[in-house]
Amino acid sequence: MARTQRNTDRERTQITDDNGIAIESALVGDGLELSYPSSDGTVVECTRLDIPEEAVTALVGPNGSGKSTLLKALSNHLKPDTGTVRIHGEDLDSFSQKELARELGVLSQENDSLGSISVEDLVYHGRYPHRGFFDGADEADHRAVERAIELAGIDEIRDTELGQLSGGQKQLAWIAMVLAQDTDVLLLDEPTTFLDVHHQFRVLETIRQLNEEKGVTVAVILHDIAQAARFADYLVAMHDGKLYDWGPPEEVVTEQLLADVFAIEATVEYEPELQVLPKRALPDR
Amino acid sequence: MAGAESVGANAVTEQRDSWITGTLVLFCLMSMVVTVVAGLIQVSFGEYSMTVLEAWKAVFNPAVIFDLNAWVSFLFGTERPDMSTNSIVVWNLRLPRVFVGIITGATLAVSGAIFQAVTRNELASPFILGVSSGAGFAVLATLVVFSGFAPFLPLIATLGGTLAFGLVYSIAWKGGTSPVRLVLAGVIVNMVFQSLQQGLFFFADDLGVVQTAIAWITGSLTGTGWEEVRIAILPAIIAIAIALAGARQLNVLMLGENTARSLGMRVERVRFFLSGVAILAASVAIAVAGVVSFFGLVVPHIVRNTVGGDYRRLMVGCVFAGPALMVTADVGARLAMGGTQMPVGVVTGLIGGPYFLYLMRKQQSMGEL
Repeated sequence: MARTQRNTDRERTQITDDNGIAIESALVGDGLELSYPSSDGTVVECTRLDIPEEAVTALVGPNGSGKSTLLKALSNHLKPDTGTVRIHGEDLDSFSQKELARELGVLSQENDSLGSISVEDLVYHGRYPHRGFFDGADEADHRAVERAIELAGIDEIRDTELGQLSGGQKQLAWIAMVLAQDTDVLLLDEPTTFLDVHHQFRVLETIRQLNEEKGVTVAVILHDIAQAARFADYLVAMHDGKLYDWGPPEEVVTEQLLADVFAIEATVEYEPELQVLPKRALPDR
Repeated sequence: MAGAESVGANAVTEQRDSWITGTLVLFCLMSMVVTVVAGLIQVSFGEYSMTVLEAWKAVFNPAVIFDLNAWVSFLFGTERPDMSTNSIVVWNLRLPRVFVGIITGATLAVSGAIFQAVTRNELASPFILGVSSGAGFAVLATLVVFSGFAPFLPLIATLGGTLAFGLVYSIAWKGGTSPVRLVLAGVIVNMVFQSLQQGLFFFADDLGVVQTAIAWITGSLTGTGWEEVRIAILPAIIAIAIALAGARQLNVLMLGENTARSLGMRVERVRFFLSGVAILAASVAIAVAGVVSFFGLVVPHIVRNTVGGDYRRLMVGCVFAGPALMVTADVGARLAMGGTQMPVGVVTGLIGGPYFLYLMRKQQSMGEL
């Protein structure tokens, strides 16, 4: 691997898994302060954020807690006021836009829908960072596209135009496009919101499969805390632009967290598996 | 094994060429037929009387078509070799106008198509984004005031167009642009430049200049010859070639700014570069034919309705449909009124305006692509 030289002198508390083995982070945000040019005041403040390598990390939090903002900073769509983001130990700024797009795949929350493009054509656009300005598609591109279409399970709609698909099928097509990008790290902003349950599972299963088979690191914003708790290896809970807690779901998800962060009263069952049972909304504090 | 693999890959490659559809091929062939027929009608009539047959014979006269010297003289302005009067009338007076029509039609259509993708706005065109009036003002100023710079007209037109487009974009920019803001800013800048154009008339020395200027502002192919072809052909070919090659970039731009950036595109730079190409294309047309209204707006729409929104198809379609419509409109402009010639811009405006209205009524939403 080219990326062996890591910052060893960096002071940090190593994350360890159950067996005490150190876990490397694919993406690290360090001392981040984020704001938008159009509004004043810091939106997100985060001293340290780790997206562990080869794991699925879910970012959760209520609306306006800064999840999307944080994801934008991680994907270089938003320049942090202070702090740095490193991917595999290297500063995001040291990459050109195309180099970064070969390391890091991003799916934004709203994708302006183009009616008249076929699914296959859309997936081929995922190969953009691998092609020159005027280059045609080569064999590696064809293989990556076929693989992405197969992984997302959208072979039967590959010639259909995007405008004729349901919301869930559309989302799968967009995900296939990001998969065709063939990156080691994937950032997804609410890929399951607005989808029916069947397509929610299709999307999550695709992500899980990708993670298990190819060792892809995934950071995904999920709206549904119950779903996130069951699905992700790690949770990052955001509240008011700050990192409330993070770690494996069993440690992070508590009734206290649900009250503090989501303002709901809920029961959490840990046996036989982690389950969140929301009861009612708590009064505004 | 290796053999089997490569066969499979070939099959996939063939499949990938599937963006060239039957509709597109048919559309382009039809456009070509229309261009040729309209061109032939154009060369058949005129003040110098000859029969239709004589005119066509002159067009397909092998002594001219395969005469290298003749082509050199047409394209580089050297002395013309001897040829019959019929050939001179057809090849030197009537055909160049058709060629200028072809060039302006193709460049204006391509320019409009690029602007529509770059701004992601269905209403965008060189006319609405101020490029036409800016380039128009620059050319008019050159004709009326700085007549010494006439050989550099395309360059001057490009500068004027760039200035106007820059103005429109910076007025509309507010942490991003929206279709409506762009159109509004375009209207404002258009108005300013049109006032400037009208102001320039008062500096014109004689009526002849004013008449040329008016023909020029409405967009006219009257009196264009090989000289215009010579001015326009090279920048036109460059602009069209880049536009065709950049079609995939435009497709990615159409996915939206966020997605394009995630895919590794330097969005601002690509947008800027392709806008430059579109301005060049429009300026080429404006420098030789003046401001032909509605053309850059309507032609991409017609093509999009026929061959679909994929820019690889759309660009090719525009390169063929633009000339067909421009040459046809010019036939109308030159021959419909009997003795008097109208500027072709009047015809395109009269046909393009209502057609666009029809599109607006038919479609549910208009504006954002």
